[in-house]
Amino acid sequence: MDVSQYLEIFLDETKEHLQNLNTQILALEADSESMDTVNEIFRAAHSLKGMAGTMGYKRMQNLTHDMENVFSEVRNGNIKVKPEMIDVLFQCLDALEEYNNNIQETADEGTNDNEPLIKQLNDILNSKKAEEAPAPKKKTSKKSAAKDVGQEADVPKWYDIAFDSSQLRVMKAAMKQGKNVYGINVVVQDTCILKAARAFLVFKSIEEKGEIIVSVPSAQDVEDERFDKDFTLVVISENSVEEVIKAAENVSEIAEVTGAAIELEKTKNYQPIDDDDVPTKDVVTASGVATVDEKKAKGPEKKQTPGKPIVNRTVRVDIEKLDVLMNLVSELIIAKNSLVSASGQEQSVNSGFNEQIEYLESVTTNLHESVMKVRMVPIESVVNKFPRMIRDLSKTLDKKMELYMTGEETELDRTVVDEIGDPLMHLLRNSADHGLESAEVREQRGKSPTGSIFLDAYQDGNNVVIEVRDDGNGIDVEGVKKKAIERNVITPEQAANMSEKDAINLLFLPSFSTAKKVTDVSGRGVGLDVVRSKIESLSGEVEVKTKLGEGSTWTIRLPLTLAIIQALMVVVGGEKYAISLGSIQTIEDISPSEIKLVQNEEVIHLRGTVIPLVRLSKVLDIESTKSADENLVVVIVKKGDKLAGLVIDDLIGQQEIVIKSLGKYMKQCKFISGATILGDGEVALIIDANALI
Amino acid sequence: MEQLNITNGLPAIGGEQKGSLETIQYIVIRLGAEQYGIDIRYIDNIVRMQKITRVPKVPEYLRGVINLRGEVIPVMSLRLKMNLPADEYSKSTRIIILKLEQQGNIGVIVDQVNEVVTLTPNEIEKIAYDNKEGKVNFINGVGKYKGELISLLDLNTVTLDENV
Repeated sequence: MDVSQYLEIFLDETKEHLQNLNTQILALEADSESMDTVNEIFRAAHSLKGMAGTMGYKRMQNLTHDMENVFSEVRNGNIKVKPEMIDVLFQCLDALEEYNNNIQETADEGTNDNEPLIKQLNDILNSKKAEEAPAPKKKTSKKSAAKDVGQEADVPKWYDIAFDSSQLRVMKAAMKQGKNVYGINVVVQDTCILKAARAFLVFKSIEEKGEIIVSVPSAQDVEDERFDKDFTLVVISENSVEEVIKAAENVSEIAEVTGAAIELEKTKNYQPIDDDDVPTKDVVTASGVATVDEKKAKGPEKKQTPGKPIVNRTVRVDIEKLDVLMNLVSELIIAKNSLVSASGQEQSVNSGFNEQIEYLESVTTNLHESVMKVRMVPIESVVNKFPRMIRDLSKTLDKKMELYMTGEETELDRTVVDEIGDPLMHLLRNSADHGLESAEVREQRGKSPTGSIFLDAYQDGNNVVIEVRDDGNGIDVEGVKKKAIERNVITPEQAANMSEKDAINLLFLPSFSTAKKVTDVSGRGVGLDVVRSKIESLSGEVEVKTKLGEGSTWTIRLPLTLAIIQALMVVVGGEKYAISLGSIQTIEDISPSEIKLVQNEEVIHLRGTVIPLVRLSKVLDIESTKSADENLVVVIVKKGDKLAGLVIDDLIGQQEIVIKSLGKYMKQCKFISGATILGDGEVALIIDANALI
Repeated sequence: MEQLNITNGLPAIGGEQKGSLETIQYIVIRLGAEQYGIDIRYIDNIVRMQKITRVPKVPEYLRGVINLRGEVIPVMSLRLKMNLPADEYSKSTRIIILKLEQQGNIGVIVDQVNEVVTLTPNEIEKIAYDNKEGKVNFINGVGKYKGELISLLDLNTVTLDENV
């Protein structure tokens, strides 16, 4: 069987199941008695096994099979959850993830049989068997199977359905017309990986033979895969029941289809309905309408929507397609900008033209927002692997710690979310290793022996803020300085004059680690500088606040989106430049007499703050068109707590710009972060204010 | 070796049967008084001179960036790169957009685009690599076409940027 077309779905679903297993096993560790958790784990392991089996990944299947065995014993209460078992299970998950990664890269699961793990799993099983009588495992599975069969054999499932009066009326009317009403029960194969898709095909092929009036579970639930392995339909058809069954059976991966004509008297809440006064012919047409109306009126709450399944409400879209869409929106914005600038030049244009342009402007803005929203994904996908990581760290470092997370639902552009995982992991490891003290020290300091690490995410204006906070030791500023002197990064004199903030910034230098010894977790000195460069490459910034003995807070601030930004257009020496609005604080008109010199650098004193001036004309190697005695236009930009005043020649105004890369050739210019295309087709460079502070 | 490099892996242009007789098409451009040939397979586009946005703090031969149908493309001056006198833009000045696997697209400014010629290997004379004086050699061969000589540009050297 060619399964390559399912590979993507398989990988996605496997990832979901693995993540789910991770979360659930963590929960199980916290509360080993919770049956819900065990059941959830069992289900996930079972689906994994089924999926791996269908795709022909035997090793993966073997491993999950043995895991499933263990869970099944736990579920039956034959094994108690022990810490060692949890460890083994986590190792299994890691192994499965490895398989998954292999499959992703090479479409092959690799050759690692993970025999030690399988042996450990079997040991867990056997240890219990040694203690107790032979496992009742087989018995239970048989029993449950028997129960299933029993149910089916008993009364056909369609008689379990509680029909409402309108459904009964439709059935009755159809019967009067000489049509047949069948109950159909469809069972999909255990190994089927795309239950919903199969069900959809069954719906479709049955609809070719007749009209589906009732579905249990509802069509919507079936589509969302909220059914176990069978579903029941009531069908009105002119064809024989065999034909309808055959239509359903023709869909592959369907295990069994049973069906028979429904006798209305046998249905659950059957009441004779008096409809003699309605002419039959009308009823049929009316019944069709009635069901449709009902669908609309009852909508989501009843969910017994018979008839054609509606297309799934969510669609998986290739990210590349979204990028194309995004590019097209960018083009549209550029075209819109050029229309705006064209209309600005012509004085004689009538007001109707301007109105249309404004309309176009609002449409493109909305379109841009919607496309952006499509690209937004919650950071959950990144952060939900952290509880597991902290648990492992807690074991390796032999420190007690808890991770508290909030704001997992905060959304960020997909490109940012993909990149943010590593920096966050660095920071968390850092907090766990350097930040938190050992339990004894904590107790001496009057803290709870279990350290706390917090990961909070929230949106703040056009930014998303992610904070990693711990209640540990905080950063020892003097210690940092000492280390820096040892490493010849700074001189002792410099250290003496250094502010706390500057000293902490030393941590972000490459190859600077304060850990006394290199551990597995951190201390190799490749952490914080990587964190910073990564965050800065995403146009974000990272800051740290700390208090010795009480803990530290690392704050990452990221822009919501990277592709299109609001910018201030300015003129310097006759050339147009864009400055991201996000970094701009205010715009000031400064007389030349207000400029003071401090250490030979130009500064201005503005509302109690001394702000250094940066003359953009100098930075950009161009002559300013303004004479020295004219007032200066100064754009005050902010980076963290620092301010700087960029001196420009003239302001053009605010504009939505599309960021384009300058390419490899122009990379040397550190303070130009990209280029944009203006309305008139000209290219303007984007000034990265952060690089100038 | 040079010829092998040129035709390596790419389909022959000109439809000749035998490998040794594969022909290559060159676009002939003028820089000052000299004629140069650029392998047509690396050419994406030829556009008229347009406004180039200067980028600060880059080598002088990188003249800046242009907007090519919504894409921002870097542009370099072939003259400055080859240590010739600076360009004087005229009506016939063109920007040739080269597509390169490694560096992406880049435009080069030329004085004039003349014609397309088809050269057989017999008409191409290899130039022995001469790097004695520490000068970079931008040419990897000379083509003889209708009694004229065309210097064939080695695009790898031309577009090589020390900082890329």
